[in-house]
Amino acid sequence: MTTPRRTWLGPLASVAPLLIVLAAWQLASAAGALPKAVLPALTDVAKALAALIGSGEIFPHTLASLARAGIGLAVAVVVGIALGIAMARMRVVRLAFEPFLLLIYPVPKPALIPLFMIWLGIGDFSKIAVIALGCLLPVVTAAFNGARSVDEVLLWSARARGVSERRLLWRVVLPATLPQIATGVRTALAISIIILVSSEFLSSQEGLGYLISSYGGVGADDSMLAVVIYLAAIGYALDRLYLAALRRFMSWHAFAH
Amino acid sequence: MRYGAGANAVTALERIDLSVDRNEFVTIVGPSGCGKSTLLYLVGGFLAPSAGELLFEGAPIRGPGPERGIVFQRYSLFPWLTVAGNIAFGLEERGMRAAERERVVAEHIRLVHLEGFADRYPRELSGGMQQRVAIAQTLACQPAVLLMDEPFGALDAQTRRILQDELRRIWRRDTKTVLFVTHDVEEAVALGTRIVVMAARPGRIKEIATRDFEVREGEELEANPAFVALKLRIWRSVKEEVDAARSAGIPL
Repeated sequence: MTTPRRTWLGPLASVAPLLIVLAAWQLASAAGALPKAVLPALTDVAKALAALIGSGEIFPHTLASLARAGIGLAVAVVVGIALGIAMARMRVVRLAFEPFLLLIYPVPKPALIPLFMIWLGIGDFSKIAVIALGCLLPVVTAAFNGARSVDEVLLWSARARGVSERRLLWRVVLPATLPQIATGVRTALAISIIILVSSEFLSSQEGLGYLISSYGGVGADDSMLAVVIYLAAIGYALDRLYLAALRRFMSWHAFAH
Repeated sequence: MRYGAGANAVTALERIDLSVDRNEFVTIVGPSGCGKSTLLYLVGGFLAPSAGELLFEGAPIRGPGPERGIVFQRYSLFPWLTVAGNIAFGLEERGMRAAERERVVAEHIRLVHLEGFADRYPRELSGGMQQRVAIAQTLACQPAVLLMDEPFGALDAQTRRILQDELRRIWRRDTKTVLFVTHDVEEAVALGTRIVVMAARPGRIKEIATRDFEVREGEELEANPAFVALKLRIWRSVKEEVDAARSAGIPL
């Protein structure tokens, strides 16, 4: 086990490339080399972001978006774990679902949004359904692969200590698969935000995707970019939070970053 | 015991006839590929024999059971459970009450000298400590027979010596029946009261030696002429099999 070096240089070094690009952006705008029509100045974007947050305007949209992504992700996690493990343990389930999963796999999920709107209406339901579908695949794949690769020694060990075939699932297969599931859910978390924004572009009265498309539509490029940056920050924070939670509550496993 | 089907079938074990008495410490030693682990897995009930019969206390063995505890070479602990959780695993399955369970777990942590490590996870432990936990986990279930599949095979020589001594101490104290598989001749002689030498391809019993002298904990085995003589005898017997396999063109 290695101890990371904790110097002031460490955190700075990791954000340095980002700071250089931002500085170049601002300098180019100030020098007039970067016209507003191409890219608004960094300071203008920062002002727009401050206004969106300061006025509180952005928060109801954030809430609406996070609710959609959260519900879609939660559905995918529950269904995905059950389906993935069932596919690994029961041949008939695998035969029944594998063709569909392989078929859905290469389809860009946002392309299905119009279809889902026809079936489920233009409200939240269709958005959540597409998010759930998109998040399902990484969770199913992780649960399936994890449950199939459970070390035989662990299964033997459990059976020799009196665990019945039926209880093996709860006592060994599910906990042994958790690290892989957790990694799959992390991928799904990122996917949920991608599909969320795409779905809110198409038809929506609120949400961060709606904000981006409506500001873009009226030429308020600084506010549009401000929401994009805000969204990136939220995505990053959620990922870090998730990883921190894993390290805290699944400390028995060594997670990579 | 045969693996596979048709022309590709491999006979892993042939005409094995071995009976083990209660409280015996039987070690099984032989070249790699002689099927010694397969034999142990048959007794454990993880594999079913293609021919023949396995009896435990007169009744045929059908599948694994808590009366036959097993310790594997490595990676057999449940990584999501702490040391205490691993030791309690079989006790929970049996429906033992929490207070009683805690007492048994604490007792077995002391038995394998892991005081202070109850709340650690397996990945935080050294290989030797993990095997201590595995032994405690198995003993806590009070098996009638202890099956050990090269339990110290992945450990360094020092740790192996220490754990061999501790296992002998535990065996003497509890007088358990032990079936212990190893590829290490010295280990086989140092631990076994009876030493089964196996031959390879097909796996079969070549000879069974009885150790008619005591081995004490912490004893300098190299200074014991009886030990050295028996070890040499077993070593030659095993080496014959290794040479036979090599001259038959089977790479080792």
